[in-house]
Amino acid sequence: MEKHKKGHITKDINNKGIDSKDSANREEAEVFKLYMVIVHHGLGSKVIQIAKESGIPGGTVILGKGTAQNPILKFLALADYRKEIVMVLGKVDHGKVFLQNVSEKLKFHKPNSGIAFSVPVSNIIGSKYCAGAKPPENTNGGERMEMYQSIFVIVDRGSAKEVVDAANESGAKGATVINARGSGIHETSKLFAFEIEPEKEIVMILVKREISEKVTRAIKEKSSIDEAGKGIMFVQPVDEVYGIQD
Amino acid sequence: MNIFNEKLKEVFFAILPITLIVMILRLSIIPIDNHLMGMFLLGAVFVLFGLTFFLIGVDLGIAPLGSLLSSVITKKNKLWLVVVAAFTLGFIISIAEPGLLILGNQIDVLTSGVISSFTILAVVSLGIGIFMILGFLRMIYNIPLHIILLGSYGVIFVLGIFTSPEFLAIAFDSSGSTTGVLAVPFILSLSLGITAMKKDSKASEKDSFGLVAIVSVGAVISVMILSLFTEVQEFAEVEMAEAHIGGSIFGSFINAIPGAFLESIIVFIPLVAIFLLVRFTWPIKKEVLRKMTLGFIYSLMGLSLFLVGVNTGFMAVGSEIGAYLVGLDTYFYLILIGFILGVATILAEPAVYVLTHQIEDVTSGYVKKNIVLGALALGVGMAISLSLLRVVVEEIQLWHYLLAGYGIAMGLTFITPKLFVGIAFDAGGVATGPMTATFILAFINGAAYNHPTADVLVDGFGMIAMVALMPIITLQILGTIFKLKTVKKGVEGNGKT
Repeated sequence: MEKHKKGHITKDINNKGIDSKDSANREEAEVFKLYMVIVHHGLGSKVIQIAKESGIPGGTVILGKGTAQNPILKFLALADYRKEIVMVLGKVDHGKVFLQNVSEKLKFHKPNSGIAFSVPVSNIIGSKYCAGAKPPENTNGGERMEMYQSIFVIVDRGSAKEVVDAANESGAKGATVINARGSGIHETSKLFAFEIEPEKEIVMILVKREISEKVTRAIKEKSSIDEAGKGIMFVQPVDEVYGIQD
Repeated sequence: MNIFNEKLKEVFFAILPITLIVMILRLSIIPIDNHLMGMFLLGAVFVLFGLTFFLIGVDLGIAPLGSLLSSVITKKNKLWLVVVAAFTLGFIISIAEPGLLILGNQIDVLTSGVISSFTILAVVSLGIGIFMILGFLRMIYNIPLHIILLGSYGVIFVLGIFTSPEFLAIAFDSSGSTTGVLAVPFILSLSLGITAMKKDSKASEKDSFGLVAIVSVGAVISVMILSLFTEVQEFAEVEMAEAHIGGSIFGSFINAIPGAFLESIIVFIPLVAIFLLVRFTWPIKKEVLRKMTLGFIYSLMGLSLFLVGVNTGFMAVGSEIGAYLVGLDTYFYLILIGFILGVATILAEPAVYVLTHQIEDVTSGYVKKNIVLGALALGVGMAISLSLLRVVVEEIQLWHYLLAGYGIAMGLTFITPKLFVGIAFDAGGVATGPMTATFILAFINGAAYNHPTADVLVDGFGMIAMVALMPIITLQILGTIFKLKTVKKGVEGNGKT
């Protein structure tokens, strides 16, 4: 029953994105991107809300710090301010709407109000919404082959250990864990006016392209990412890598 | 928005409610004369800038020092070092706490010198030192907080049976007064330094809170034990400390500055000593050192301004409001306005901001600041109302509240997520800061002093104990709601939360 309902939602979203086109078009590769939005502290949840309104099921927020370019403030050690970094995985057509809405609603045309950008993603595992994900044309079609890939795994807080262990056992040289919060399609409860965004951990692993498959498979098996609600994993191409010793 | 603007804005909205409420009260039912009102408004300005600088200073200097210190101590991996350092830290922080000194003097006067203020100072500091060791060992050996709290409150319960009502109030009040405005941020950051090193992120998060709670228990237990060993039959009459009124508004603020500055310096001495010790025994980057030094200067400056504002501007108004309301025909207004004042004052309590920010940082924003503030304010509001009810209804004794309250609080620890158990019990210590200890205390004492059947000693005290108790309950309830709400939808066989 529940499963059925979920499938329905996914279909809805698919339809909304490309409602004017026929079903044959849907078979085509759907290009996904990772959207990064950096805003002032406290606006992260709002960005996720906008993402949800734009058809993207969820996002993840990381706390960060920024520094103002003001010498007087720097001297007084008052130049730091708090930031939130929002990571959102979305289809390109949803993403366009999302970026437009974000920059409109959060007034990105004014200086110092925020930054948004997108980066290519080559593989996504663990999300129904992203089930049709295929590598974007421009990085895949070209002859250029990157040496390394970075694997991002977003799981519930406390589960990062398993992911790190799985990665290390399957040949990765190490992993970095970032604390975050976020909500996906399974987590949409509210407490008064607040959306509850449960705590997450983001595991970042840089691996050689050859073993990338092996590592993602190991993680998938160990933390059962492809089950609903267990987390999400995506792979990104990486150009230049320093500091990894073979 | 840089840190200064961000904090200024935050503090502005924190003290706006209390300022507005006093103004509304003046315009509606309570005649507060212009002079007093002027003092209050100027006091609010002092509090605004004082609190802003203090909080910035805590972020830049005090919190980093705390986490650096505890991580250095733990990394040495020597048990004796942890024990010695924890005891020393607890002892010297509490011995310099002005709240404890005031408490000591009160007890000295009350017992006509049988228990000298020096004895109190020494015994409570000793108790806090010992419980600081317990708190450190808990984090290192992953002992669940609720087990320690159950044990400690069990001891308190047994001791409480043999303690006289007067001392019961003093003992529970001492838990609030020892975890002062500077001690709380420092103790909170000490736990962060240790837990940040843990690989198990869930355990790390849970253990980030609870140290303040354990330390508060230490104070209660030591005052109780002290009362058992001293035979005190008679209690002297207490004089109400009349707020100093008169002279020009600006003049009285300027007169208050040296005293507040001196008090702030005394609180800072142990921390500065620790800072210098760390600075010369551990390599710190030059830029970090500069930031920390500036942080110390900001927070010293901020604390002085804050104390001037509160002591000069807020206390007299609080006492006036309490005295007036208790004289009305119905106590309904007294209890209602007590609730509102409680809610509004807690928003201006400095350590509360340090706690809520730490909660946001530790949980990456999952537990939002405003929602914690809401639960906390509700708890404090109820605490004030209940305390006022005790002032006007003779039959209610403090131990009725405490027994029922801590019973509920202990019961809740079994169902509340462990992260929230730590947050809730810490919040108890955090809520009782300088704002409550001056403004609200003056308000309650003003009411008790002017009520025919009330006794300032028995009824006036115990309010801080209530303020420390009620947030424990409301925040645990909040935690339970969070647990219920954070369940994933549409996932079968979901066992984890």
